[in-house]
Amino acid sequence: MLLLGTLLHVKQISRSPLEVAIAMVVPIVQATLAVYLFRSGGEQHRLIEAAVGAGLMGVWSSVLFGSGGAIQNQRWQGTLEMIMLAPRRPMLVILPITVATGLTGAYSLLATLTWGRLLYGIRLDFAHPAAFVVAAVVCVLALGMFGLLLASTFVLMRNANALTNALEYPIWLVSGMLVPITVLPAWTGPIAAVLPTTWGARALREATTGGPVWPSIGICLAISLGCLILGGFAMTYVERRARAAATLALA
Amino acid sequence: MTVGGVIAYRALFNWTRPSIFIGTLLVGPLFQLLFFAYLGRQLQVADDRFYIVGNAVLSATLACVFGGTLAVGNERRYGTLGHVLLSPRSRTALFLGRALPYAGNGLLIAAFTLSASALMLGLRIPLSALPGLMLAMATGSLACSFFGLTLGALGLRLRDVWVISNVAVALLMLLTGVNVPKAGLPGWMVAIGNYLPITHAAEAARRFAAGSDFATAAPELAREALIGLGYAVLAAALLKIFELESRRTASLETL
Repeated sequence: MLLLGTLLHVKQISRSPLEVAIAMVVPIVQATLAVYLFRSGGEQHRLIEAAVGAGLMGVWSSVLFGSGGAIQNQRWQGTLEMIMLAPRRPMLVILPITVATGLTGAYSLLATLTWGRLLYGIRLDFAHPAAFVVAAVVCVLALGMFGLLLASTFVLMRNANALTNALEYPIWLVSGMLVPITVLPAWTGPIAAVLPTTWGARALREATTGGPVWPSIGICLAISLGCLILGGFAMTYVERRARAAATLALA
Repeated sequence: MTVGGVIAYRALFNWTRPSIFIGTLLVGPLFQLLFFAYLGRQLQVADDRFYIVGNAVLSATLACVFGGTLAVGNERRYGTLGHVLLSPRSRTALFLGRALPYAGNGLLIAAFTLSASALMLGLRIPLSALPGLMLAMATGSLACSFFGLTLGALGLRLRDVWVISNVAVALLMLLTGVNVPKAGLPGWMVAIGNYLPITHAAEAARRFAAGSDFATAAPELAREALIGLGYAVLAAALLKIFELESRRTASLETL
């Protein structure tokens, strides 16, 4: 059911020009910006990091806006009630949507790497190519699970856009997707440490430039599983609360 | 009229609660600025002043570009475009007038972003520079609103104008020289940027922030105003052409 649901939503999202544009064109523009910034700063040897970082930023945008839109879209289509009335747990219906947003977000990573290779001649010399593939897959799945936790909070919110629009740059920044977290204020450290995006970004960076990839992948996966469990509980809680208050369609 | 205008503005902008406004239009642009300021610090491309002032002017784009697009797009989406076009008033004046509250909104956001980021990152701006900075941000916001309205006009013909506005906002970050100094960009990107809103307003704002007098920043301000005027004329022309075409082919509400 999870697999079929994920496949269905990947196909559905992939047919939306807006989703595809956001997943591919916007990250390419951001990657171009990053490349010129890195060049201006005399860091030509780090261009592959710019491409990978910009791609990961696109994955996060896709999950963030996709998870926010997942509930809102069901609400607008009038199908949210049916999902909540189904004999299956709501989590099993919503999780494929959030994982699908992560998978379609992976278009960003592919787009920025292809763009970097073709237009700027960036050599895709990954320090650990196999680990990079594993890290990318884990990262996409992890963000999908994180998306479930976000989506559960959106059941209660009439306008999830407020949260989604406000969360894009902070997570890019704090997770060290392009800006190393060492240059950020110290108080951001504990926040970064509990975000799966931080460890996912770190795993991809280590697979690209060298470093202990597997511990980062493991931590990323562990935090994401925590998000999945929390998201499951949160989804059940907010569903019951919305039913009791009769605000599911209005929340 | 005022109450009706405020309600219509809030509804067309899709924010009915303050939390939406704060989250989308204040927190988002502020973190965008912080992102580039920290990236710039790490890469040592330019100093904090470059990023804070430039990105503060750029922060108006979110409200102005999407606002301009929404001004036309949401009328169509909510099925009220026909009523607007049936109005005996001049539609050109009506739609161009829509750009004004978005420009005001953009100025408010830019002023907030500049103040908050200067406090957070410890940038000192001389008091004497504030009037000039406000003028630069206002000119940039107005030009950007007309640019948004031009994109919104395309919404009369295109099924999904949001793709264009999303890509346009991302391109403004790259081409206006707000985040990468012009010397670091290829010539063709700089050339395109010269015909986009924000480019000259950001340059003028940087000159004011650096302590330059009005005469030094005036040429950049004039260029920005001229570009804004150009987009206003273009938006009016496109709206007129697409309106006539939609009436002729009876495709006004066809999505």
